[in-house]
Amino acid sequence: MDSFTPVTALIGGLLIGLASAVLWLGNGRIAGISGIFGQLLPPARTVVWRLVFLAALVAATFLTAQLLPGLGPKPELVSAPPSSDIPTPIWIAIAGLLTGFGTKIGNGCTSGHGICGLARLSRRSFVAVGIFFAVAVLTVTVTGVV
Amino acid sequence: MKQSLRPPYLATAALSGALFGAGLYIAQMTNPLKVLRFLDFTAIPTGGWDPSLALVMGGGLIVMLAAVQYGKRMERPLFNGTFHQPEYNHIDLPLVAGSALFGIGWGMSGICPGPAISLLAFLPENIWVFLCAMFVGSYLGSFVMKRIPREVVPA
Repeated sequence: MDSFTPVTALIGGLLIGLASAVLWLGNGRIAGISGIFGQLLPPARTVVWRLVFLAALVAATFLTAQLLPGLGPKPELVSAPPSSDIPTPIWIAIAGLLTGFGTKIGNGCTSGHGICGLARLSRRSFVAVGIFFAVAVLTVTVTGVV
Repeated sequence: MKQSLRPPYLATAALSGALFGAGLYIAQMTNPLKVLRFLDFTAIPTGGWDPSLALVMGGGLIVMLAAVQYGKRMERPLFNGTFHQPEYNHIDLPLVAGSALFGIGWGMSGICPGPAISLLAFLPENIWVFLCAMFVGSYLGSFVMKRIPREVVPA
Protein backbone atom coordinates (compact mmCIF):
# COMPACT_ATOMS: atom_id res chain seq x y z
CA MET A 1 0.00 0.00 0.00
CA ASP A 2 2.77 2.43 -1.00
CA SER A 3 0.24 4.82 -2.46
CA PHE A 4 -1.91 5.10 0.72
CA THR A 5 -1.75 8.69 2.02
CA PRO A 6 -3.84 8.66 5.21
CA VAL A 7 -2.79 12.05 6.65
CA THR A 8 -3.38 14.19 3.55
CA ALA A 9 -6.54 12.21 2.71
CA LEU A 10 -7.98 12.97 6.16
CA ILE A 11 -6.95 16.64 6.09
CA GLY A 12 -8.40 17.03 2.58
CA GLY A 13 -11.59 15.28 3.66
CA LEU A 14 -11.97 17.55 6.70
CA LEU A 15 -11.56 20.62 4.43
CA ILE A 16 -14.22 19.32 2.03
CA GLY A 17 -16.50 18.73 5.03
CA LEU A 18 -15.80 22.27 6.23
CA ALA A 19 -16.62 23.60 2.74
CA SER A 20 -19.96 21.79 2.87
CA ALA A 21 -20.63 23.03 6.41
CA VAL A 22 -19.91 26.66 5.47
CA LEU A 23 -22.29 26.56 2.49
CA TRP A 24 -25.01 24.80 4.51
CA LEU A 25 -24.91 26.96 7.66
CA GLY A 26 -24.15 30.18 5.76
CA ASN A 27 -26.40 29.96 2.73
CA GLY A 28 -28.57 26.92 3.39
CA ARG A 29 -27.27 25.31 0.21
CA ILE A 30 -26.02 21.79 -0.42
CA ALA A 31 -22.42 21.65 -1.70
CA GLY A 32 -23.19 19.14 -4.42
CA ILE A 33 -20.92 19.83 -7.35
CA SER A 34 -23.08 18.11 -9.97
CA GLY A 35 -26.04 20.21 -8.82
CA ILE A 36 -24.08 23.47 -8.72
CA PHE A 37 -22.63 22.71 -12.16
CA GLY A 38 -25.83 21.33 -13.69
CA GLN A 39 -27.94 24.30 -12.66
CA LEU A 40 -25.82 26.77 -14.58
CA LEU A 41 -28.04 25.94 -17.53
CA PRO A 42 -31.30 27.70 -18.29
CA PRO A 43 -33.85 27.94 -16.76
CA ALA A 44 -31.47 28.45 -13.84
CA ARG A 45 -32.41 31.36 -11.59
CA THR A 46 -29.40 31.69 -9.32
CA VAL A 47 -26.32 31.46 -11.52
CA VAL A 48 -24.04 34.02 -9.90
CA TRP A 49 -23.24 32.24 -6.61
CA ARG A 50 -22.71 28.98 -8.48
CA LEU A 51 -20.14 30.61 -10.79
CA VAL A 52 -18.46 32.25 -7.79
CA PHE A 53 -18.27 28.88 -6.00
CA LEU A 54 -16.83 27.05 -9.03
CA ALA A 55 -14.32 29.81 -9.85
CA ALA A 56 -13.11 29.81 -6.23
CA LEU A 57 -12.82 26.01 -6.36
CA VAL A 58 -10.56 26.11 -9.43
CA ALA A 59 -8.51 29.05 -8.09
CA ALA A 60 -7.96 27.36 -4.73
CA THR A 61 -6.94 24.10 -6.41
CA PHE A 62 -4.41 26.03 -8.48
CA LEU A 63 -3.01 28.02 -5.53
CA THR A 64 -2.80 24.99 -3.23
CA ALA A 65 -0.94 23.10 -5.97
CA GLN A 66 1.53 26.02 -6.26
CA LEU A 67 2.07 26.11 -2.48
CA LEU A 68 2.31 22.32 -2.04
CA PRO A 69 3.68 20.99 -5.32
CA GLY A 70 5.12 17.87 -3.73
CA LEU A 71 1.84 16.17 -2.84
CA GLY A 72 1.45 14.26 -6.07
CA PRO A 73 2.19 14.01 -9.77
CA LYS A 74 0.60 16.36 -12.29
CA PRO A 75 -2.88 14.88 -12.84
CA GLU A 76 -3.48 13.12 -16.13
CA LEU A 77 -6.68 11.58 -17.49
CA VAL A 78 -6.61 7.84 -18.08
CA SER A 79 -6.21 6.26 -21.51
CA ALA A 80 -8.84 3.88 -22.82
CA PRO A 81 -7.93 0.26 -22.05
CA PRO A 82 -6.13 -1.16 -25.13
CA SER A 83 -8.48 -4.14 -25.14
CA SER A 84 -11.51 -1.87 -25.65
CA ASP A 85 -10.51 -0.73 -29.18
CA ILE A 86 -12.03 2.66 -28.35
CA PRO A 87 -9.92 5.82 -28.92
CA THR A 88 -9.17 7.62 -25.63
CA PRO A 89 -11.12 10.85 -26.39
CA ILE A 90 -14.23 8.77 -27.15
CA TRP A 91 -13.72 6.79 -23.93
CA ILE A 92 -13.43 10.05 -21.96
CA ALA A 93 -16.48 11.53 -23.73
CA ILE A 94 -18.61 8.49 -22.86
CA ALA A 95 -17.47 8.70 -19.22
CA GLY A 96 -18.30 12.42 -19.11
CA LEU A 97 -21.72 11.93 -20.71
CA LEU A 98 -22.63 9.16 -18.25
CA THR A 99 -21.38 11.27 -15.32
CA GLY A 100 -23.40 14.32 -16.38
CA PHE A 101 -26.56 12.41 -17.27
CA GLY A 102 -26.40 10.02 -14.30
CA THR A 103 -25.80 12.70 -11.66
CA LYS A 104 -28.59 14.84 -13.15
CA ILE A 105 -31.34 12.22 -13.08
CA GLY A 106 -29.93 10.67 -9.88
CA ASN A 107 -29.87 14.13 -8.26
CA GLY A 108 -26.32 14.05 -6.99
CA CYS A 109 -22.76 12.80 -6.98
CA THR A 110 -19.95 11.99 -4.55
CA SER A 111 -20.34 15.34 -2.79
CA GLY A 112 -24.10 15.99 -2.86
CA HIS A 113 -25.18 12.45 -1.98
CA GLY A 114 -21.85 11.17 -0.61
CA ILE A 115 -21.13 13.87 1.96
CA CYS A 116 -24.13 16.20 2.32
CA GLY A 117 -26.84 13.56 1.77
CA LEU A 118 -25.36 10.93 4.08
CA ALA A 119 -24.78 13.60 6.74
CA ARG A 120 -28.47 14.57 6.49
CA LEU A 121 -29.27 10.83 6.83
CA SER A 122 -31.21 10.96 3.55
CA ARG A 123 -32.62 7.59 2.50
CA ARG A 124 -32.14 8.45 -1.18
CA SER A 125 -28.50 9.32 -0.63
CA PHE A 126 -27.71 6.00 1.12
CA VAL A 127 -29.19 4.17 -1.89
CA ALA A 128 -27.37 6.40 -4.42
CA VAL A 129 -23.97 6.09 -2.70
CA GLY A 130 -24.28 2.31 -2.38
CA ILE A 131 -25.14 2.00 -6.06
CA PHE A 132 -22.54 4.33 -7.56
CA PHE A 133 -19.70 2.95 -5.45
CA ALA A 134 -20.64 -0.66 -6.25
CA VAL A 135 -21.07 0.02 -9.97
CA ALA A 136 -17.81 2.00 -10.14
CA VAL A 137 -15.88 -0.85 -8.48
CA LEU A 138 -17.49 -3.32 -10.86
CA THR A 139 -16.68 -1.08 -13.87
CA VAL A 140 -13.01 -0.84 -12.89
CA THR A 141 -12.88 -4.62 -12.49
CA VAL A 142 -14.52 -5.29 -15.85
CA THR A 143 -12.69 -2.65 -17.92
CA GLY A 144 -9.31 -3.02 -16.22
CA VAL A 145 -8.76 0.70 -16.78
CA VAL A 146 -6.16 0.99 -13.98
CA MET B 1 -31.42 43.20 -3.91
CA LYS B 2 -31.89 39.50 -4.17
CA GLN B 3 -30.60 37.56 -1.17
CA SER B 4 -28.33 35.41 -3.32
CA LEU B 5 -26.60 38.47 -4.79
CA ARG B 6 -25.68 40.08 -1.44
CA PRO B 7 -21.96 40.23 -0.60
CA PRO B 8 -22.08 37.95 2.50
CA TYR B 9 -23.91 35.25 0.50
CA LEU B 10 -21.40 35.43 -2.38
CA ALA B 11 -18.43 35.58 0.02
CA THR B 12 -19.73 32.42 1.71
CA ALA B 13 -20.02 30.69 -1.68
CA ALA B 14 -16.44 31.75 -2.52
CA LEU B 15 -15.09 30.55 0.86
CA SER B 16 -16.85 27.23 0.48
CA GLY B 17 -15.60 26.73 -3.08
CA ALA B 18 -12.05 27.61 -2.03
CA LEU B 19 -12.08 25.17 0.90
CA PHE B 20 -13.49 22.52 -1.41
CA GLY B 21 -10.77 23.02 -4.04
CA ALA B 22 -7.97 23.06 -1.45
CA GLY B 23 -9.38 19.90 0.13
CA LEU B 24 -9.59 18.08 -3.19
CA TYR B 25 -5.98 18.91 -4.03
CA ILE B 26 -4.54 18.13 -0.58
CA ALA B 27 -6.37 14.79 -0.58
CA GLN B 28 -5.05 14.25 -4.14
CA MET B 29 -8.58 13.51 -5.34
CA THR B 30 -7.61 15.74 -8.31
CA ASN B 31 -5.60 12.73 -9.53
CA PRO B 32 -7.95 10.34 -11.39
CA LEU B 33 -5.46 7.50 -11.07
CA LYS B 34 -5.51 7.75 -7.27
CA VAL B 35 -9.32 7.54 -7.27
CA LEU B 36 -9.18 4.50 -9.57
CA ARG B 37 -6.65 2.85 -7.24
CA PHE B 38 -9.34 3.05 -4.55
CA LEU B 39 -12.04 1.67 -6.82
CA ASP B 40 -9.79 -1.20 -7.95
CA PHE B 41 -10.70 -3.83 -5.36
CA THR B 42 -8.85 -6.47 -7.41
CA ALA B 43 -5.66 -4.93 -5.99
CA ILE B 44 -6.64 -5.73 -2.38
CA PRO B 45 -5.07 -9.24 -2.35
CA THR B 46 -1.85 -7.97 -3.96
CA GLY B 47 -1.46 -5.06 -1.53
CA GLY B 48 -1.73 -2.44 -4.28
CA TRP B 49 -5.06 -1.03 -3.10
CA ASP B 50 -5.20 2.65 -2.03
CA PRO B 51 -7.82 3.20 0.72
CA SER B 52 -7.25 7.01 0.81
CA LEU B 53 -10.66 7.91 -0.67
CA ALA B 54 -12.42 6.27 2.28
CA LEU B 55 -10.62 8.65 4.65
CA VAL B 56 -11.55 11.64 2.46
CA MET B 57 -15.22 10.65 2.61
CA GLY B 58 -14.98 9.88 6.34
CA GLY B 59 -13.33 13.20 7.16
CA GLY B 60 -15.91 15.11 5.13
CA LEU B 61 -18.79 13.23 6.69
CA ILE B 62 -17.71 13.84 10.30
CA VAL B 63 -17.61 17.62 9.82
CA MET B 64 -20.86 17.74 7.83
CA LEU B 65 -22.70 15.49 10.32
CA ALA B 66 -21.83 17.98 13.07
CA ALA B 67 -22.85 20.92 10.86
CA VAL B 68 -26.24 19.37 10.03
CA GLN B 69 -26.95 18.77 13.73
CA TYR B 70 -25.91 22.33 14.58
CA GLY B 71 -28.10 23.64 11.75
CA LYS B 72 -31.16 21.99 13.28
CA ARG B 73 -30.89 24.40 16.21
CA MET B 74 -30.78 27.43 13.90
CA GLU B 75 -33.99 29.05 12.70
CA ARG B 76 -32.45 29.69 9.32
CA PRO B 77 -28.99 29.86 7.72
CA LEU B 78 -26.91 32.98 8.42
CA PHE B 79 -27.42 34.59 5.00
CA ASN B 80 -30.59 33.01 3.63
CA GLY B 81 -34.23 32.75 4.62
CA THR B 82 -34.38 28.97 4.58
CA PHE B 83 -32.36 25.75 4.35
CA HIS B 84 -32.75 24.38 0.80
CA GLN B 85 -33.28 20.77 1.76
CA PRO B 86 -34.65 18.24 -0.74
CA GLU B 87 -38.01 17.06 0.60
CA TYR B 88 -38.57 14.30 -1.96
CA ASN B 89 -37.88 11.00 -0.21
CA HIS B 90 -38.86 8.20 -2.60
CA ILE B 91 -36.44 5.65 -3.96
CA ASP B 92 -37.40 5.83 -7.63
CA LEU B 93 -36.10 4.63 -10.98
CA PRO B 94 -34.24 7.85 -11.94
CA LEU B 95 -32.32 7.75 -8.64
CA VAL B 96 -31.31 4.11 -9.08
CA ALA B 97 -30.58 4.27 -12.84
CA GLY B 98 -28.84 7.64 -12.59
CA SER B 99 -26.56 6.50 -9.77
CA ALA B 100 -25.71 3.32 -11.72
CA LEU B 101 -24.89 5.28 -14.91
CA PHE B 102 -22.77 7.73 -12.91
CA GLY B 103 -20.99 4.72 -11.35
CA ILE B 104 -20.05 3.48 -14.83
CA GLY B 105 -18.70 6.89 -15.86
CA TRP B 106 -16.78 7.24 -12.58
CA GLY B 107 -15.28 3.77 -12.93
CA MET B 108 -14.26 4.45 -16.55
CA SER B 109 -12.46 7.70 -15.77
CA GLY B 110 -11.80 8.07 -12.04
CA ILE B 111 -13.41 11.51 -12.32
CA CYS B 112 -16.51 12.66 -10.47
CA PRO B 113 -17.94 16.19 -10.90
CA GLY B 114 -15.89 17.98 -8.17
CA PRO B 115 -12.50 16.81 -9.40
CA ALA B 116 -13.66 17.36 -13.01
CA ILE B 117 -14.03 21.09 -12.29
CA SER B 118 -10.86 21.27 -10.18
CA LEU B 119 -8.83 19.74 -13.03
CA LEU B 120 -9.26 23.10 -14.84
CA ALA B 121 -6.39 24.20 -12.59
CA PHE B 122 -4.06 21.77 -14.43
CA LEU B 123 -5.68 21.49 -17.88
CA PRO B 124 -4.58 17.89 -18.56
CA GLU B 125 -5.16 16.47 -22.05
CA ASN B 126 -8.82 15.62 -22.79
CA ILE B 127 -10.22 17.52 -19.77
CA TRP B 128 -12.35 19.69 -22.08
CA VAL B 129 -13.70 16.54 -23.72
CA PHE B 130 -14.81 15.29 -20.30
CA LEU B 131 -16.26 18.64 -19.15
CA CYS B 132 -18.17 19.31 -22.39
CA ALA B 133 -19.54 15.76 -22.38
CA MET B 134 -20.55 16.15 -18.72
CA PHE B 135 -22.34 19.41 -19.53
CA VAL B 136 -24.17 17.81 -22.47
CA GLY B 137 -25.05 14.77 -20.33
CA SER B 138 -26.42 16.98 -17.59
CA TYR B 139 -28.51 18.91 -20.11
CA LEU B 140 -29.89 15.70 -21.63
CA GLY B 141 -30.69 14.56 -18.08
CA SER B 142 -32.70 17.69 -17.28
CA PHE B 143 -34.50 17.31 -20.62
CA VAL B 144 -35.48 13.72 -19.75
CA MET B 145 -36.49 14.56 -16.17
CA LYS B 146 -38.83 17.33 -17.33
CA ARG B 147 -40.77 14.67 -19.24
CA ILE B 148 -41.01 12.16 -16.40
CA PRO B 149 -43.40 13.17 -13.62
CA ARG B 150 -41.81 11.93 -10.41
CA GLU B 151 -44.95 10.23 -9.10
CA VAL B 152 -45.27 7.74 -11.95
CA VAL B 153 -41.81 6.23 -11.80
CA PRO B 154 -41.61 4.17 -8.61
CA ALA B 155 -38.71 1.69 -8.58
